Amino acid sequence: MQPVLRARDISKCFGAVHALDKARLTVEHGEIHALLGANGCGKSTLCKIIAGTVGLDTGEVLIDGKAAALGSPRLAEEQGVALFYQELSLVPQLSVGENVFLGREPRDRFGFTDRSAIQRETEALIARVAAVAGKGFTPDVRVSDLSPDQRQLAEILKVLARKPKVIIFDEATATLDRRQVEVFFEILRQLKAEGVSSIFISHRMDEVFAIADRITVMRNGQTVAEFAAAETDRYAVVYAMVGETGAIAASVRDHKPLEGDARLSVTDVRASRLGPVSFTARRGEILGLGGLQGQGQKALLAGLFGAAPFLSGSVSLDGVDVTVRRPADAMAHRIAYVSGDRGRDSALPGRSIFENTAIASLVRERRHVVPGAVFRERFAEVLAGLNTRYAGLDAPIGSLSGGNQQKVFISRWLSPAPGLLLLDDPTKGIDLGAKGDFYLLARKLADEGATVIIYSSEDSELLSLCDRVLVLNGGAITADLTGDRLTPFDLTRASYGDAA
Amino acid sequence: MNRFVDLAKNPLLISSVAILALLIIGELVSPGFARGDQVVRLLTVSAILGIAAAGQNLVILGGREGIDLSIGAVISLGAVIAGNVMNGSDAAIPLAFAAACFAGFLIGVVNGLGVTYLRIPPLVMTLGMMGVIQGGLVVLSRGVPSGNAAPALLAFVSRSAFLGVPGILFVWAAIIVLMAFVLKRTRFGWSIYAIGSNENAAILTGLPARRIRVLLYGLAGLFGGFTGVCVIGYTGNSFISVGDQYVLPSVIAVVIGGTSLAGGAGSYTGTALGAIALILLQSVLTTLNLEFWGRQVIFGGTLLLLMLLYGRQARLRV
Repeated sequence: MQPVLRARDISKCFGAVHALDKARLTVEHGEIHALLGANGCGKSTLCKIIAGTVGLDTGEVLIDGKAAALGSPRLAEEQGVALFYQELSLVPQLSVGENVFLGREPRDRFGFTDRSAIQRETEALIARVAAVAGKGFTPDVRVSDLSPDQRQLAEILKVLARKPKVIIFDEATATLDRRQVEVFFEILRQLKAEGVSSIFISHRMDEVFAIADRITVMRNGQTVAEFAAAETDRYAVVYAMVGETGAIAASVRDHKPLEGDARLSVTDVRASRLGPVSFTARRGEILGLGGLQGQGQKALLAGLFGAAPFLSGSVSLDGVDVTVRRPADAMAHRIAYVSGDRGRDSALPGRSIFENTAIASLVRERRHVVPGAVFRERFAEVLAGLNTRYAGLDAPIGSLSGGNQQKVFISRWLSPAPGLLLLDDPTKGIDLGAKGDFYLLARKLADEGATVIIYSSEDSELLSLCDRVLVLNGGAITADLTGDRLTPFDLTRASYGDAA
Repeated sequence: MNRFVDLAKNPLLISSVAILALLIIGELVSPGFARGDQVVRLLTVSAILGIAAAGQNLVILGGREGIDLSIGAVISLGAVIAGNVMNGSDAAIPLAFAAACFAGFLIGVVNGLGVTYLRIPPLVMTLGMMGVIQGGLVVLSRGVPSGNAAPALLAFVSRSAFLGVPGILFVWAAIIVLMAFVLKRTRFGWSIYAIGSNENAAILTGLPARRIRVLLYGLAGLFGGFTGVCVIGYTGNSFISVGDQYVLPSVIAVVIGGTSLAGGAGSYTGTALGAIALILLQSVLTTLNLEFWGRQVIFGGTLLLLMLLYGRQARLRV
């Protein structure tokens, strides 16, 4: 029997970036297939290609042995591939049945919506998941009246109504609690019993080994390993994700023993999808926040800076409790923040380089009048120290390359130097030369006594730069890695929620 | 070549050239158009529009589709308040200015609170406010004009104070210098550009974006109230719709002056030149003795031509 889905030699470039390089994926009938890999390995792109939301450059996708044309989500659905959305596609004002058939309402012979058909077919769908549906889950109940569990179920019904052969669940469990995950797994097993296959992307190793029949591991846009879950173990899977290159980065980093006083002490902080989290960071330390994307790292940094204040918990600096409700409070405590999303969080488009650098200093130093000559001299010096290439302080910020723009944005915080520097994936999309300048700067600031906390979506960056890395998974710290334990293997393993 | 193109797109230069061209056309069509006393008269009219446009300029620079359509009603309110406070007495002029500016400021703050905290779109908020003020004025005045300007105020606006130039032009010059200083050299000015350019980034550099925006609407109201007093000084007495004619011209002057309607870029110097160019254009069109529709077509066409010359502004490369 042919596999239900076979993707072969799939390549895809976004500009100069090779997102996929001859990747492959084979899914058998009635199988739960886990797709794993580190950030940026291409697993999401591969799923999008299979679901028809992204086109492919080369390669082919076969469904039941026949070449499939997957130009759009609609075409993919017609051929039996459906993508599961997490609470994004339900209309709260409509009933479960109306949601399930939204846009594809059955018609009666006069061309009107056939309500009795909706009722009948939705009831049939609910019967398939009766084991977990619970009471009060009927076709005519409004979605806004459903519990979160039931909404998730309605979302799945919506997918099932399309009679798919393969359903892609991209991080479907990311926002679910333990009990909801159980319900979700029950549904996956039910689908499996009916012969429907699932492709399951998860960030928790426990889940993968609890539910998956087979595992495909991707790295750098390629498929590097395929396992039967019963015949492998976590170590083998993590090794496949890390690859041979894994061991190198750790050895070149100098294992400086951590000493010095605690600068930052964080106790039981909570934010949306984060915490409670507690940790300390020392003076002179570069502390990394690792893990897969979206596990609470950004929320932690935004909370410390007051951009999205913590809901509870306490933060102390040099032994003194501080309250940070807005960025100005953080700045008064010599906390600085640089985001990797320059367009959204940093750039003042249309304004000069001078304004883009000096604005934060006006706030910090409580100056009402711009000391033109003094600031010009000061920031020209700071920018020169970062090897920034620019025509002049009055040139618009948009005239600079991404890397040089990022140097302008970090120079906001360098004079005077910050006590705590928060970096949110700061080297995203900038050139290698600028990255190097960044690493040197972070090290220099730390050596001068600052504490640097950096979140990076690139594990290699954390491994080569940080003295210590806290790994987050699902809003909790799953590992605190230093010294010999700061290796690609441990980092990847902890990223998948596997505490050592 | 590139520098030449940049220069040709500079709003200050385009407005200045437009002003010169309009003066020449006016003089050709009707000799005496560009005579000294005529120019002073045109500048006086421009000053009143220019002061109203200062407030408009601030809220537009602040971004988030900032605009103040209630400015006309606030001008009317300021004129009515000033007329009733003065009632022909010179001694009451300072009080008239204070009362009109204060009332305008309060209304502006309400606009600002609605826009920032209740998230009402500025167009809707200020349009609603315009209706409220106009209705309120009808109720308060019972539709009858009341109050009149003090003699010293009339002299301030229309008679020579020094070398044939009335006092209001000196005040306007002072406002131009002050606005240029505030916008270019102070934290407040930089904050306005910052929140207009990228509010989120501005907040992440510690700026209180909401408070700044409320203050901008307050200042727009304050300038409106101030303009109202100048208007009654120009017309002698007040009627309750005297400010309506300033609503759109105040926006147009800002745009001609090169301020982006998206916020975050522009200058008040440009707006002042824009106000002069706009008044000159209207004046030339009147001199041409065209029928109303002909004036409207040429007026609109000229505005579109200016917008075309500015071109689209370069976007940030990220």
